[in-house]
Amino acid sequence: MSCNSSVIRLCASSVGQAPQAPVHLMPCEIEHNGPAQVNQYFTATTKDQKQDKSVSFRGRGLKGQKISCPQGYTGLVLKEINKPGSDQEDRTVKVSSVFDKMTYWNLETPPNSDDTIVMAMDWPDLAEAIHAPVED
Amino acid sequence: MATKKKRTSNVDNDSWVVIAPDSAIDTHKHDGDPVFVRLRNPSTDEPKADAASLYMLGCGDVMLYEVKAFEDDFHSWFVGQAVQRDGRLIFVTPLDPLFLILPYLIKSGKEGKFQRVDQVVKDEEFPACSRLLSCARTLASLHHIAEEKEAGSQMYHRYSQEKTMNWLKKKVERMVIALKKRNISVGEGVKSSTYVRVKSETENQEEDFLRYSHGLISEYISEDLSKALLTLLGLPELTSPKETEPPSKKRKLSDKPVEAGEDYTKFNSADFARKPPKKMTAAQKSLAKVDKTGMKPMSSFFSPKVKAEKK
Repeated sequence: MSCNSSVIRLCASSVGQAPQAPVHLMPCEIEHNGPAQVNQYFTATTKDQKQDKSVSFRGRGLKGQKISCPQGYTGLVLKEINKPGSDQEDRTVKVSSVFDKMTYWNLETPPNSDDTIVMAMDWPDLAEAIHAPVED
Repeated sequence: MATKKKRTSNVDNDSWVVIAPDSAIDTHKHDGDPVFVRLRNPSTDEPKADAASLYMLGCGDVMLYEVKAFEDDFHSWFVGQAVQRDGRLIFVTPLDPLFLILPYLIKSGKEGKFQRVDQVVKDEEFPACSRLLSCARTLASLHHIAEEKEAGSQMYHRYSQEKTMNWLKKKVERMVIALKKRNISVGEGVKSSTYVRVKSETENQEEDFLRYSHGLISEYISEDLSKALLTLLGLPELTSPKETEPPSKKRKLSDKPVEAGEDYTKFNSADFARKPPKKMTAAQKSLAKVDKTGMKPMSSFFSPKVKAEKK
């Protein structure tokens, strides 16, 4: 298991240059990685009603809402640059975009506080309770 | 959904959506870039191929972070004007380095001698583990899990089960407070109509919180320690699924520590599986099959495997 010794370096200086990007969590798996005309066919048809958003995507009604990253945390999209040929080489990822809010979409169901992603945002607080130093 | 459409595997993935602490990516500090490394997951007992999980070291190895992927079936991202098929959301959160040091100390503690930690925290399989000793908190907090002796200018340590158990107990107690403060419901399982309550409501609640917290912390310790902690907390081991509510194991908050598979840049979800059978009692196994439809979403979030089985 020599590949255990390789590391992935996060090129932190790339954060400064990374643009803010709109980020949507879609309730379906899209078997594609790469460019798509999100603005033209998705964002442009999104309807906003106060907090709630709705859109029709592939004939399905999606309901969504924006949520913020937990306090003290930033959203990053990491991209690998120069993929090496073997698993024993070190790799590098850079920050290709940043976000402080994201939009998540449910299929049909209106967004609510029981949505997985909303609860996931509690994780940093719970992790803090587990991992903060214990007093003597 | 009678037949599931076979999905092609997601191998050409080269980007990830991550939520990380601002401090981890502070570019004003010049102590080198953060790195993702593979280290031995402390909840795995034997030296096995699947013992590796992904962690992150930051601020010049001073900070250690856990890397966990939150995952729901059938999700993908739109990022800017692009699709990212991998719908996972990866959280990077600070991790107590003592959890990762503990297995090494326990192993060397069997010899009963005081030793230098840099001699103890060594691992051919995971060479990065020695970097754990650079974490600011490691050396300052070793007394929570070991006896210390100073000779010359050198510190020597020996694993102490008693100290470790006290340290873990404090963590559980703090977790209970945090859960209560956040109003996180932990006891939905007992609301099953076939379940007959023996204890009073409040007593039960308290036990639910303890069990739940114990479950969360057990994600970071070996099975032996987890059992010892259960005893210390005065919680009986679960013997039958009817007797009490689902074991906390089933609702760990984040079921997906990012384990490093063959190619850890995949953040390994496919072969993740976390091998619960190893740690599952017969009762837990049967519980996994129990219909949880009455449960609130929080607990389904904590046990996505149960959810998956329902489909």
